[in-house]
Amino acid sequence: MSSHALTPTRRPTGEILFALLFVSVGAAGLLTAGSIPIPPSETGIGPRAFPYIVCGMLVLVGTGIVVQVLRGKVGQAEEGEDLDVDAKTDWIALAKLVGFVILHIFLIEPAGWPVAAAVLFSGAAWTLEAKPLGKAILVSVAMALVLQYVFGGLLGVSLPPGPLLEGVPFFHG
Amino acid sequence: MLLLEGFSTALQPVYLLYALGGVFVGTAVGVLPGIGPAMTVALLMPITYALDPAAALIVFAGIYYGGMYGGSTTSILLNTPGESSSIVTALEGNKMAKAGRGAAALATAAIGSFIAGTIATVLLSFLAPVVADLAVGLGPVDYVALMVVAFLTVGALLGASVLRGLASLALGLFIGLIGIDDSTAQQRFTFDNPNLVDGIDMVLVAVGLFALGEALYVASKLRHGPVEVIPVSKGKNAWLSKEDWKRSWKPWLRGTFIGFPIGTVPAGGADVSTFLSYAAERKLAKGAHKAQFGKGAIEGVAGPEAANNAAAAGVLVPLLTLGIPTTATAAMMLTAFQRYQIQPGPLLFENQSALVWTLIASLYVGNLMLLVLNLPLVGLWVKILQIPRPYLYAGILVFAALGAFSVNFSPSDVGVLLVVGILGYFMRRYGYPVAPMVVAMILGPMFEVQLRRSLQLSQNDPAALISTPFAVVVYATMGLIFLGSWWLRRRQAALEAVTEKEEVSV
Repeated sequence: MSSHALTPTRRPTGEILFALLFVSVGAAGLLTAGSIPIPPSETGIGPRAFPYIVCGMLVLVGTGIVVQVLRGKVGQAEEGEDLDVDAKTDWIALAKLVGFVILHIFLIEPAGWPVAAAVLFSGAAWTLEAKPLGKAILVSVAMALVLQYVFGGLLGVSLPPGPLLEGVPFFHG
Repeated sequence: MLLLEGFSTALQPVYLLYALGGVFVGTAVGVLPGIGPAMTVALLMPITYALDPAAALIVFAGIYYGGMYGGSTTSILLNTPGESSSIVTALEGNKMAKAGRGAAALATAAIGSFIAGTIATVLLSFLAPVVADLAVGLGPVDYVALMVVAFLTVGALLGASVLRGLASLALGLFIGLIGIDDSTAQQRFTFDNPNLVDGIDMVLVAVGLFALGEALYVASKLRHGPVEVIPVSKGKNAWLSKEDWKRSWKPWLRGTFIGFPIGTVPAGGADVSTFLSYAAERKLAKGAHKAQFGKGAIEGVAGPEAANNAAAAGVLVPLLTLGIPTTATAAMMLTAFQRYQIQPGPLLFENQSALVWTLIASLYVGNLMLLVLNLPLVGLWVKILQIPRPYLYAGILVFAALGAFSVNFSPSDVGVLLVVGILGYFMRRYGYPVAPMVVAMILGPMFEVQLRRSLQLSQNDPAALISTPFAVVVYATMGLIFLGSWWLRRRQAALEAVTEKEEVSV
């Protein structure tokens, strides 16, 4: 479990930047917490106290992590069943997946949920090198229609069927 | 006798069907590699949106136990380590499967889970009303004390790095602050954005962190090639022998009584209890059985699996009676309850007793169904384990997006999901535990209300926070828990060191 933590070959730049993100969220919070209005009737510690404490904690803990990382104590990446721990991070695959989720978001309303879901599924399967691709696309279409039927039709979750399936009654509840 | 009424609801044919469906879906999703119980509950939330509260609770009871159990099948049959609460099962279970004893390992896990789950549910049925009665008398000061304990244990005990756990906790608290202040109705950190006034929905954060974050993280380092599942041998010899039964029943019972108490106090939930049970079995084993540890000792599967399920029931005690979630899975259950305007807490047993007892009755039912379903369906679980990984993770993405969209039927929520998912990716990459963030987001606003109420009542005198005997006892116990947990962590580290050494030497 811990044996991988002993390989400090990775440059910790990214890790420091991520810890600084916590610091900057905290700092931004500290700067803006002063503008939270306090109603005149307030007799307790008011609505600002907790934000100050939480943001202060973010700044302190984030700084602590930066110091730790600089002193060589880097984080221990999570492990999992399908992970190849020794593999390099595939940034292109990540970018593609994020891209497909964004595409999905913009497709839901104009094209309907089933189309958006099929695009997301086949895009993700393509990114992760599903073979053959034609089969993945067929699976995606079948899955999108089944989900639309089960959730939109049977369970009454109002997923927009989109212009293609608008006329099919069992796709909406 | 309220329990009998609960049974009369839970045993109606329609509800039995719901329970069956919940257990089945929960196990099927829980079996999927990389999906822990919290993620199972988060991902499956949309399927209950259209159900009535009783049916939804019954389905959730099934999903909860099914998801807890599913992980053990994964770790026994898959050649790679699994999620933390079943990783101990993998130590011995995986070895047993490789030695052709996979069916016996699965059987002792299933029967152990059933026995532990049933005993723990009985304990829950007796303990919960008593705790609820006591809890009715608790004031804001007492709640502050309880929640301080929950925060510290969840933030500081989970994960390898205390600072990262606290960072995750603080970020969860911060997200919980966004929106309208419960006490004064002032907007905080909304930046006049109308979408932020109601705060960020818990489901988006949970699904983003657990499902999307995990999918992105695995995708970035996906192991390509075929999935290796250890074949389950059939035939008479594969099933539990008389000897196996003899070796299993004590660990089952010991696991139950280790798991349940640990589940009820905020001390890390299932993970800690499985490690403790494993350590206990290892220590108690004698002679040839002791030598088997590390090579497939059945006690090492039976004990931890029982502890895991007993802890799952134990966690429901503080959740139902105090409304305090102590694990990420419990936080997800609480979110699910709140969607149905069910507010767990001391008043729950008075105001909605029919519903609570239906839930508890369905825990018994779900447990039995788990046993009945699991063993005959092993073939199906193996098929599920073999789903090609591109399909699996593409499917998780689609389900996560569906879950996010169906919260308010707004595509911009899927955008929030994506942002949280990217955050979850980096948290995994740099070793930040995500569970404290989820728990903090739920507990934070509750804590603030109680804290401010206590201070208001005492005209801002902080000494009021230790003014009740209950609070003093809680803070003192917290000190002890921390000492104890420090000891536990050392035990756990020592145990890991031992097993690692053995793996190298094998």
